[in-house]
Amino acid sequence: MKRLLTVAGIAFLLVAPLLTNNAFFQHLMIMVLFWTLLGASWNLLGGFAGQVSFGHATFLGIGAYTTMLFYLSLHWSPWLGMLAGGVLGALLALPIGLICFRLRGPYFSLATLAVAEIVRLVALNWEQLTAGPVGLLITTLPQVSIADHAINWESKIPFYYLAAGLTLFAIGLTYAVSRSRLGAYLTAVREDIDSAEATGIDTVRARVIALVLSAFVVGLAGGFYALYFRYIDPDAVFAISLSVEMVFIAVVGGLATTAGPIVGAIVLVTISEIFRDRFAAGHLIFYGLFMMLVIRYLPEGIWGQLRFLLSLERRR
Amino acid sequence: MEIFAQSVVSGVLTGSLYAMIAIGLTIVFGVMRIINLAHGEMVMLGMFGAYWSYTLLGIDPFLSVVIWAPAMFAGGMLIHRFLLKDVIPKGELNTLLYTAGLSLLLANLALFFFTGDYRTLNLPYALMPARPFGIAVPIPLAIAFVMAIAITLGLYLLLSRTDVGRAIRATAQNPQSAALMGVNVLRIDMITFGLGTALAAAAGVLLVPSLYLYPTVGEILIVKCFVIVVLGGLGSVPGAIAGGILLGLVESLGAVYISVAYKDTIGFVLFLLVLLFRPSGLFGVGRS
Repeated sequence: MKRLLTVAGIAFLLVAPLLTNNAFFQHLMIMVLFWTLLGASWNLLGGFAGQVSFGHATFLGIGAYTTMLFYLSLHWSPWLGMLAGGVLGALLALPIGLICFRLRGPYFSLATLAVAEIVRLVALNWEQLTAGPVGLLITTLPQVSIADHAINWESKIPFYYLAAGLTLFAIGLTYAVSRSRLGAYLTAVREDIDSAEATGIDTVRARVIALVLSAFVVGLAGGFYALYFRYIDPDAVFAISLSVEMVFIAVVGGLATTAGPIVGAIVLVTISEIFRDRFAAGHLIFYGLFMMLVIRYLPEGIWGQLRFLLSLERRR
Repeated sequence: MEIFAQSVVSGVLTGSLYAMIAIGLTIVFGVMRIINLAHGEMVMLGMFGAYWSYTLLGIDPFLSVVIWAPAMFAGGMLIHRFLLKDVIPKGELNTLLYTAGLSLLLANLALFFFTGDYRTLNLPYALMPARPFGIAVPIPLAIAFVMAIAITLGLYLLLSRTDVGRAIRATAQNPQSAALMGVNVLRIDMITFGLGTALAAAAGVLLVPSLYLYPTVGEILIVKCFVIVVLGGLGSVPGAIAGGILLGLVESLGAVYISVAYKDTIGFVLFLLVLLFRPSGLFGVGRS
């Protein structure tokens, strides 16, 4: 059943863009993938290890700015820039992790919030590097050919497949981690950090590795954001609200589950994109409402509950 | 020297209002062990309440605090009774996320109904600052400062002299023992949450003549509030007062002597340093 769902999901992912020419639906699918990607990478640390970060927008912003700046000033290929964004995000995650993981529970969350605000303010004010609040703009993307076909960047299809590839990578990574020794360490940290340390687990190391992996993928996603929207400014990519939305996607879908962020992104992003047309930030009303309802009535998230109903897994 | 005195004065005045917001957050934490991320939205609601009662009914914000503080006290009790009470036993992190949801909900409902315009409230007597000893003192901020002191004193008397106050302090020290001594802990939780909300809203009402007003203003205020309570020690009322004044001073002096653009950053760096090296607060009174 589980395998069947996975295969069906991937098959749908591959053929989905052929089903519609409607630009809105294409955009919607890309956004669902993008947020699945972010939710899944946040879930690596926030779900599996129970370390609720309110600062993941930092890595998104670093990825976006790295990709943009390498392309605009050094003329690096944006694909290389995206990779560099992921690597820089992961490198930045090292000191952040070593500092913030000295704190526990809500204190950790507050510290990540503070770090994210510091980075946002630096990006806003370091105008020589980031152009400050004016932001950065890419007008044309370079020619790329696959099997002698030049890719048409004006269409949304290439971005769809790019997002799909990244999302599959993120979900595969979460699945691999959940099956690995690291995943077991992270669960131990989540359930009882003192007992985990007493059994000899280096909890700081485990959490830092989870954060670095998570930051790497979010950095890649930042690069994708820059290429897809072609415009970034500090308040767009370093905003607290972005970090919070990642948290919401993972929690509403189901913490510490591989498929949770997919469900969370489908539910929340579909609502938000439909309502975005009607009233600008109205969709966040639903984010807040869903978050409260889920924590109150479905603490395991929508997917966490569904998989019991579908009896994919025996109740613990 | 004049510049120094000027920034000390404005730092203390703003800091006193920060302190008032932070006291609300810190007593709620002290009693219930929850960090209320929606606290900034309570300030925002107070600000909007005062704004509308001034623009529509012509009631001076410094008078309408008498309406809005009790109204938000009742509102806070209702929020606790119907929204929070059943979530708090689910754990610290769940409550944190739940209040994050509440914060997003309230801020965006306000955005939906009031639009995202920046508003200001100009009081006729507030156009020119008073100038005692050659230092400019904005009149609305000075009145707000005096009223903040009065409200804080009132809270101090409530906590130290009344039965409810004793019950609140007992619950903060140890809920189980308090319950054994006959304190209705749930009722005290509800009253404390109401008090915290009322303090935040009252600070919002007092701040309206001096601050830009927009629906997401709570986001910035709550972050400042965290800085303050961590500086002073989470759960400590005197710590929140000292932390509030300290942050006000750091911001105003930092803006003058370091950089206007980075004045908020200084607060955050201080916050991180305290969180790392003195998690029980600068004065060592909080519980980490």
